[in-house]
Amino acid sequence: MKIDVVKNVLDANDRIAEENKALFEKSGTWVINLMSSPGAGKTTLVEKTIEALKDKYSIAVIEGDIEDTCDAERVARHGVPVVQINTGGACHIDGNMVREALPNFDLQGIDLLIVENVGNLVCPAEFRIGENIKAMILSTPEGADKPAKYPLMFQESAVMIINKTDLIPYVDFDMEQAKRSALGCNRDLVIFEVSCKTSEGLTGWFQWLEDQIESYKKQDP
Amino acid sequence: MHELSLARSIMDIIEEYDLRHHFKKVNSLKLSFGKLSSVEPSALEFAFEVLSKGTKAEGASLEFEVLPVILYCTVCGENVSAEHYQATCPLCEGGEVCLAGGTEELKLLELDVD
Repeated sequence: MKIDVVKNVLDANDRIAEENKALFEKSGTWVINLMSSPGAGKTTLVEKTIEALKDKYSIAVIEGDIEDTCDAERVARHGVPVVQINTGGACHIDGNMVREALPNFDLQGIDLLIVENVGNLVCPAEFRIGENIKAMILSTPEGADKPAKYPLMFQESAVMIINKTDLIPYVDFDMEQAKRSALGCNRDLVIFEVSCKTSEGLTGWFQWLEDQIESYKKQDP
Repeated sequence: MHELSLARSIMDIIEEYDLRHHFKKVNSLKLSFGKLSSVEPSALEFAFEVLSKGTKAEGASLEFEVLPVILYCTVCGENVSAEHYQATCPLCEGGEVCLAGGTEELKLLELDVD
């Protein structure tokens, strides 16, 4: 006997993500799922973002790593609540891991929740967690060919932050190719060119983030 | 190794359908995914084999329908099937393409059961 199913295999995860999203909407928390390869600068971007926006918004962070808590410790030094998820070998954060982390926060008082995913350009793109947007970082030493190799990551993301622009004189990075290739995956991709080391270009990112949070607050009843 | 998570979700769907249909065993599963969705069939088969041991799905075969990479070129207006994603049109070499197919997520289409 044949049974028609026609169901996304990750349907159960999507349902949990929707439940998370409903909780975030209730508390007026805008959530960003931050993804990149290991070492592209996620934690540094999180730290810079907290410093720029913490006087204006209350911020919390979920740190996802396979092992270790050193990123969470770095973030905690900035005086914001941070919860570490150790995925214990899993290469991504999923909806359920976020759901289990949420009781550690008082969501009601949080404007911006940044979820720093496990460093990986493949799997995190597939697992929704209840976020408002996915943002990804491409660092210049990784090369401009990454959108061609990992198109799903670029298609799923609303924002691409090209980090380590200060290294462009020392690495072969074709900025135009990277942008053209990423935009082919996603015409609506918003792109920022930044250096988290020198802070160049970061104000554009902060401003964009602020605009998102403000327009979200306006929707909030 | 997201294939382990995918295989676990497939097992959950099978259990859900078993509650409704009460089958004896699963013979095969038909699945589909886009070529660029980073699903590795052999890794998924292995994960499924491990997780289905001792269940009604033990020994079931997996059939995959792999959806092709489709590039839409905004210059020549054609949809082109390609091996990989590339930002240049393989037909007219135009520099503005959109990825129009190939990243479809893994779906379970059909269960063949006794």
